[in-house]
Amino acid sequence: MKSTSYSEKVLDHFRNPRNVGEIEDADGVGKVGNPVCGDLMWIYIKVGKNDKGEEIIDDIKFKTFGCGSAVSTSSMVTEMAKGMTLDKAYEITRKDVAEELDGLPPIKMHCSNLAADALKAAIDNYRTGAEPEVEIATSCQLDTQLILGVEKFVGKGVYKEIPTNLEDLKDKRILILDAGDESLEFALKLTEVTNRVILLTSAKSIPGSVELRMKLKQSEVKILQQSDLLEIIGQLDEVEKVLIHDNDEDENYELTVDAVILLDYRG
Amino acid sequence: MSVYLDYQAAKPVDERVVKEMLPYFNKDFANPASLHGHGDVATEILSQSRKKVADFINAPDAEDILFTSGATESNNMALIGSALKNKRKGDHIIISEIEHISILNIGKYLEQQGFTVSRVPVDQYGIIKLDKLKKLITDKTTLISISTASNEVGSLQPIEEIAQIANEKKILFHTDAVASEAVIPMDVQKIPFDLITFSSNDIYGPRGVGALYLKKGVRINPIMIGGGQEKGMRSGSENITGIVGFAKAAEIMKSVINEEASSLKKLRDKLISGVLETIPKSHLNGHPEKRLPNNAHFRFDYIEGESLILSLRDENVSGATGSACSSKTLEASHTLLSMGLLHEEAHGSLLFSLGRFTKESDIDRAIEVLPGVVKRLRKLSPLTPPEFLKEY
Repeated sequence: MKSTSYSEKVLDHFRNPRNVGEIEDADGVGKVGNPVCGDLMWIYIKVGKNDKGEEIIDDIKFKTFGCGSAVSTSSMVTEMAKGMTLDKAYEITRKDVAEELDGLPPIKMHCSNLAADALKAAIDNYRTGAEPEVEIATSCQLDTQLILGVEKFVGKGVYKEIPTNLEDLKDKRILILDAGDESLEFALKLTEVTNRVILLTSAKSIPGSVELRMKLKQSEVKILQQSDLLEIIGQLDEVEKVLIHDNDEDENYELTVDAVILLDYRG
Repeated sequence: MSVYLDYQAAKPVDERVVKEMLPYFNKDFANPASLHGHGDVATEILSQSRKKVADFINAPDAEDILFTSGATESNNMALIGSALKNKRKGDHIIISEIEHISILNIGKYLEQQGFTVSRVPVDQYGIIKLDKLKKLITDKTTLISISTASNEVGSLQPIEEIAQIANEKKILFHTDAVASEAVIPMDVQKIPFDLITFSSNDIYGPRGVGALYLKKGVRINPIMIGGGQEKGMRSGSENITGIVGFAKAAEIMKSVINEEASSLKKLRDKLISGVLETIPKSHLNGHPEKRLPNNAHFRFDYIEGESLILSLRDENVSGATGSACSSKTLEASHTLLSMGLLHEEAHGSLLFSLGRFTKESDIDRAIEVLPGVVKRLRKLSPLTPPEFLKEY
């Protein structure tokens, strides 16, 4: 069955999604998904009590990055869960969501899984009483010896020091590892010669001083958080790709680059 | 009003071509192999058609054209046929990272059969790195196969230079010309192509028929074994109706190609500037100038491709995307990833491809509806930064 053979109900939820938005002072937030496979769902809940004193979902909102079924399954799950007790809401399965939508193409069933998981994640977040995370960026000590292939590629795309001639990096696709403020400043400087600068950090949010964070946010530098560089890959010992580990998703993926900058960590 | 901007996926058959094909369905329907009068009619029309298709690429001899069931088969013939034929000379083949999926998968298949396959990487515009190609050549290399242009982002490859490099090293050069055959003329007497894949539907002929050009003297193993048609190179009773259509399409295309390419370029440029100017955080994928005159490939921050196509569908506008969700394998477009895009960037991609029957009103309509569609999806997406959303 074609991946877009959607039922009228799915299309309705896609065209007119219910409960879109954010809740600023949410009681629970669930974030699931994976940019690699292309789905991200965030669900916000506000918890209240019903007449029997049971905890219920008073209000629920969602935001989704993804295909038609991603949008409609998240819309549907919020419609189903609103007003339910937390326990009942926790029991909603992907089959329930898919059935309410009059079915999904088999290749899209994983989307309904995601919707049910996002709701559970929001309820879990509320129950564990976790404080909304205040991200404190920490640049990790970089041990370049743990990256496979570094020595092979030094001088052929891998830079262990700031290159004297920036022109060498003109229009190149560059991966630069977070190794403290000097690397962050250099990342910003690189945007003068190329529009593809990717900063890799194992921190949970944008690293650096307040001022640097601001500049980075406003710049063209793309930031990959919670990630580690595992390996440098290329034919004939020239840098062609890197293997990155996404710590959040616990997944590896390849990224095409021309150069990798690994400065020594300087606090 | 229906706006069709997915010419890369399928083109309508030109009415003149349909007309040309009709008699061969049930009036002059015979098999060229038959020895009676009806058979002779078929033999004659097959020969005339072959000449027209040869003329399309300025091939000196009509016999240099082999008819196949389409570009995928031609690619299979070119790669597997030459790999097998030249096995004793070498077992190394070079393709590029941004070939059509058929070439990529044939490459994987050949690797499983014991051949070595290298893939030339591309730059951020999707253009192959010539210096890398040169370095990858070994004395075991028997074939270089690189498309004339990327069928996704439209980047034009340095075909003349590649042909020269291959020629100097006495390595066969094959090109899949499907993406460019309707907009860029080919002349085999100007550029030393050894093999060319091209298809009928991509020049407004019927689908299910294509060609493989084989330069005189180039030998490959056949892969369709049977009754020995096409001089033993591709068995199977010839698809006369398809071939007649293909030939007519080629004849028409040869006479209008430059003019059409020129007017398509104008429409394309209007579309590109219209989109980039009216939609913030929108980007053009591929090279701004070295690109097919009918290809407009974009990416939009924070949103996903399948939902973009679905929303456009509701506005009666048809396009294509390279997002993972939209593919059979749930993998994002390999071309976009090879250009260095991050996964979430590859997911937010949109291809509008134009053709012979595209009108300016189609472009205007696309520019009219796209901003609203993108905005709605951005409001839904968790990736849209709140500060951006506020000013939107």
